[in-house]
Formats: sequence, C-alpha cells, structure tokens
Amino acid sequence: MLKNLIVDGAYFLQTSKSYQRRKQFFRNLLENNKYKYKKYVDIFMIILIFISVGVLIREVKYPIHDYMFYFNSYIISIVFFIEYLLRFWIHSSVTKIIVERAEHDSFISREVKIFKAFKKIISVKLSYMLSISAIIDLLAIMPFFHELRLLRLFILFRVFKLFRYANSFQTLASVLATKKFEFFTLLIFASVVIFVSSVLIYVMEANNPSSPIDTLFEAVYWSIVTISTVGYGDMVPVTFEGRIVALIVITAGIAVLAFTTSLVVSAFTEKLDEIREIKTVEDITKLKQFYLVCGYEDVAQDVVRKLSKTNKNIIILDDNIERVELAKNDGFTALNYSPGKAESYKKLHIDFKKQVKAILCLYENDVENVYTALTIRSLNKEVFILSLLMENSNRNKLKFTGINKIVYPQELIGLVTKELIGQPVAFEIIHELRSETSNVKITEIAITQRIIDNFKDIGSLGNEDYRIVLLGIHKKDTQRFYFNPLGETFLENGDFLLVIGYDVFIKEFEQHLYTKVNNEQK
Amino acid sequence: MNKSSALIFGFNKYAIEILKNVEKEYDNVKIYSLNKEDTKNEEYDISHFDLSDNWKDIEDEVNIDKSIAFCILEETSENIFLTISLRASYEDLSIIAIASHKENANKLLMAGANKVIPLVETTADIITNMLENPISNTVLHDILYEKSELKIAQIKIGENSHFQDEELSSINWSHYNGIIVLSVMHQDMSSEFIYSSKAKRHIIKEGDVLVVVGYETDIKEFEKKIGSNRYVNWSNWSW
Repeated sequence: MLKNLIVDGAYFLQTSKSYQRRKQFFRNLLENNKYKYKKYVDIFMIILIFISVGVLIREVKYPIHDYMFYFNSYIISIVFFIEYLLRFWIHSSVTKIIVERAEHDSFISREVKIFKAFKKIISVKLSYMLSISAIIDLLAIMPFFHELRLLRLFILFRVFKLFRYANSFQTLASVLATKKFEFFTLLIFASVVIFVSSVLIYVMEANNPSSPIDTLFEAVYWSIVTISTVGYGDMVPVTFEGRIVALIVITAGIAVLAFTTSLVVSAFTEKLDEIREIKTVEDITKLKQFYLVCGYEDVAQDVVRKLSKTNKNIIILDDNIERVELAKNDGFTALNYSPGKAESYKKLHIDFKKQVKAILCLYENDVENVYTALTIRSLNKEVFILSLLMENSNRNKLKFTGINKIVYPQELIGLVTKELIGQPVAFEIIHELRSETSNVKITEIAITQRIIDNFKDIGSLGNEDYRIVLLGIHKKDTQRFYFNPLGETFLENGDFLLVIGYDVFIKEFEQHLYTKVNNEQK
Repeated sequence: MNKSSALIFGFNKYAIEILKNVEKEYDNVKIYSLNKEDTKNEEYDISHFDLSDNWKDIEDEVNIDKSIAFCILEETSENIFLTISLRASYEDLSIIAIASHKENANKLLMAGANKVIPLVETTADIITNMLENPISNTVLHDILYEKSELKIAQIKIGENSHFQDEELSSINWSHYNGIIVLSVMHQDMSSEFIYSSKAKRHIIKEGDVLVVVGYETDIKEFEKKIGSNRYVNWSNWSW
C-alpha cells in the first residue's frame, strides 16, 4: 500500500510540469552559468559572505551590535541552509530513480523493489553530501550554533564558499587539475625532502642547548620555512652538521619552487587558448545583436572594418587558423570554428532569431558559401543571409540554398563602369556620399513617436536651418520611397527620412528632432 | 558622349561584364588579351596585344585619342605597366583601371589612370551599405542604375541663364518643385555641397554645373528654365 503510494507520488512529480519547471528554475539559478539571473544570486551570496567575515574580524577587538550578531548568526546561516537544501534537492532526482526502478521491475514482471530505489537514492545523495563543496556549504552553516564558541570559527568556511560563486576560481582549479600527476610528484618529492630534513635537523640540533630547534614540530616548521625559500630566520641551525643539512634543504627548495612555478605556467600556457575561447563564447552568448561573418578573406576584412566603425557587434567564424589570428590581431572577435558545421553554432549557443542581425557568407569561394548557407538554413529558416558570388554559373545554387541577397562583384563592377562613363559627375557625388571618408553623408533617420510628438509634418522639421537636404521619406505603410515630399506630408511611426548633409549637422538635426519639446518648455 | 570607342585590355569575367554594360554606349568596343589562345574564342571577338610600346595595330583600327580604355589585367604589375604605357603614348586617352586593393589603386592613379575602381573596397562598400543603410542604398542604387524614374543629372548654367551672377544661396530652389539641387561644380571641376559655406557665397557663373536629383520630366522642365542642356564634360574629366 505504502509502496504504491510512493510510486504513484513519484510518477506524479516526475510528470508534473509545474514541479519540473520549478526545479529547473532553481537549477538554473544555482548552477547554470548561462542563466541571466544566476549572477545576481552569486553577487548576493558573495555580499553575505563578506558581511560575515567582516563581522568576524570586527568582533576580534571591538564589541558588535546585537542586530549585527543575530544577522550574522541566524539570517545568514538560514540563507545558507536554504541554499544547501536547494542544492541537495536539485543535485539528483529522487522521483526519477523511483520511477526508473518501478519501470524496470514492472518491465520484467517483477514486484517493484522499492528498497533498492531507496538504496540508490541514499548513495547518490550521500555522494553529493560528501563532495568537498557540499561539506564546505554545511560547515558554513555551523556558526548558527554560535553558543559553541569553536563553531564560530566555521565562519571562515564561508570564505571557501566564494569558490562556488567566482568563475575564475573554477577556471584556475580546472587548469591546475590538468597537471594533477605533476603536482602529485612534486608533493611526494617535497614531502620526502621535508621529512628527511626535519628528522636530520632534529637529530643534529635538538640536543644542542644553544640551538632554537628543540622539538620535532620545530624541526618540521624550520624545514618548511627553508624549503619554501621564505626563511624567516627565527630559527637557524647552529651546529656544523645542522648547517650542512640547511645547505641541502635550501638547494632542494630552489628546485621545488622552480618546478612549481614552471608547472603552473605551463598548465596555463597549454590551457590559455581554451580559456580564451570559453570566455569568447560566453561573451557571444551575452550579446544582444551581432553580424555573423563567415570567412575572413579580403572583402570580409573590409566589410568588417567598415561595420565596426558604426559600433556594430561582429563575430567572425573561419576554419583557417591564420585568418582567425589575423582577425584577432585586427581587434575583432573571431573563432576558429568551421562555419559549415552545425556543431559550431551549437557550441556558440547562438539564438538566430534574437541575436543574429544578418549572416554574411564572405568566402571568396562559392562552394564554401553554399555549404555554410545550407548549414545555417538547416538550423534556421528565417535569418537573413547575404553571400558573395564568385562565378555567375553558380548563382542558381546560391539561390536554391535560400540566400536572401547575392552580391556578385563582377556585375557590380560592370554597373559601376556603366554609370562611371554615363554620368561621371553624378556617379562621383553618390560615391562620395557613400564613402566613409567624406564629410557630407547620406543618412537615414528613423521616425519615432517622440519625433512625431514634436513635429507633425515634413514642413515643420526645419532641415534647411541645419543645412540639410531632405531627399525624401520612406513610408512604412506603403513601403515606398517618396522623393522630395510636400511640406504637408505627415510623419508616422516607422517612417525613415533620407537626408544629406554634413555629419555634424545631421547629428545636431537629429538632436533637434528629439528635443524640441524640452527646448520649448524651457 | 564624345568618345567613340571602348578598348578593354584583358579578357576575364570583368571584361564580359564591362562589355555587357558599355557596348550600347560606344560605336566600337574592342577586347584585347595578352593570351593568344583567347583570340580563338568563338563567342567574343578578341584581339591579341603585348606589353611592348607598339600600339600600331590598335591605332590602325581605332582612333585611340577618342577612345576610353579599360585596364583590367588580373596581374597587378602588368596592369600598372599597361596603364603607364598607355598614358605615356596617349596623353588624352581616358583610362579606367581595376585594382584589387586601395594600395594598388593609388599606384594605378600614379601610373596615369583617370579613374580606378578598387574591387575589394567597392564590394565591401556595397555590402556595408546594404546592411546598414538599406533604404538609402536602394534609392541610390535605383538612381544610379536607372531602375527608377528618379535621376541624378548634371546641368550646366547656360549662356543666357537668368541665374547668372546670383548668389547660390539667395535662390529659393524650392520654387522648382520636384528637383533638389545637391551640389555645384565649378569650372575647375571641383564640387561643393550646396550647403557648404563656400557654396553659400558662390556666385553662379556661366559654365557652372549643378548636380540635381529629380524625376526625368521635372529635370527637363528645370533645364528649360535655366536655359541649358544636360552636360558631360569629357575633355576635362579627371579626379
């Protein structure tokens, strides 16, 4: 009866969406580094830890207020306790284990052995409780029992909790973990040297009344201080034999120190690229909108440079390591991921719909561009893809892959030539307007509700006062461009004004559009 | 258009695109290739040339001084050499050259090309504009490549124009509804944006060229009013 009740309950929780959703929420909050609210929880906990340590330090020499004492002993402890319980809860799923057991047993037509499930639950939960981080968490709660003076020192364990909340500690630990074997060897070597030298120095010095080294503890202390090359000088060997031992320990100390340093350095050098990559990926996940540039060849380099001038976020993917290095040297975010592999985008956790403004396939090779575009289309149907076309015969293939805009440089050159010989001056004017170096620019100004509140129609904008030519307006409702519109033309939200003028004046004009109301109020 | 022939030096993808776009504009379009094999091409009529200074064969066929040359050899050094050779032999020849990068573009300009199109930069410019200024890009593209009725025209102030000797800024251009005056070009071919401080005090003289935007019919109307014709001055064409 009870067994059925437990199994039913487990099934209910396992299939309950609201229960699973809540559990997932707490899992994200405590363990998912990519979850946007996790950092707030981390910061909150770090603040609690610092308060706790601050109180401990102050308490040493000065009395503290009662409320601070209670806050430190109870509130913080309770918060930590809740955190401990939550972590205990989300670490593994009790219901899942019971359900799996029940399904397994009923599948082979056996009676459900619930105790086996409990055994597994206990072993899983115990393995969590015995993990170092869980033990630290538990010890950090101990100051709750502040009547026991000794337990108050456990506040120091709260400092260890910092490891949980600061990612760099975890990175450091993971880097050092790659050199486990070397560190172990070093530890053995250092322990042997310390042990031998402690015994030797004890034997040589302990019976000499003028020597400060009298006990085995003092001998070990002296050995460690010497081998670490710290050498306080509070204890020095006085006998000839003792000094010989000291010479050996000092030499060994240099070796230990050099070995340790080189280990740490080599561990970091080996892992540095990986750490940087992880950091880059994390940064990309946080970006709101960016252009994804696939391939960093000549045209791409120039496009990226131009886009970056308008402060746009750009991510470059290229499977050629040299080009990636070049992009990094140029100061851009680049990753040595193949843009033609779906795996690359999964690693980056890219949300095409929300994050990607456009994808630019700028390999100067149609095969690469088609491959990349197809991969992206297989992941997302809507994202805007622009691609270079190098051979006109491949145009259909690019269209077929669903590329939104195809840029064929040869064709452009043909058109440019035609215009150049037909209307050279007009061509130059337009070229000048588009060029990044010219002072006179053509710019689009988006009409927002705020501008409409200030100005109802084109005639009231006063662009002439800002020495600006209003070329026309792009109306949102008709999706058409109206050249030289009449003064009575109404402005609507979502329209765009196309203006030509000096860069500085355009900026002033834009400010004027936004601030007219404020000026009038003044 | 007072040039009668177009000479395309180099046979490649660019040559075909240029040919497509300019063949209607010239009486005579010729393609020359360094590669003798190309002369066997059945689709296009291609002649052979080399980089020696012997232009006699070409001179026999066309009047080089009345021609425009496109230097589009793929090898930059050869292209520069070709440009220098042409410039050294023909002072008045209009030379348009294609360069891979801006750095090479400068070299080609030094070699005497009138206009150089840097391939990478031009393509990148167009891509960036497509992405960042889609509306202005479409409008300008339509104006340039004549898909829309909107045009940019250069209008020369005629002999009897009633605008002569007036200050540019004193004229209320909005009287000529339908057109927008963008800039003014002086006789020395330097161009000034209409709202620049220099252009503001500019006194309109005969021979000034106004760059205007407008619909075809409005531009014609405007031309009648200022008493001149649309104008392309090829003899002074240089940048």
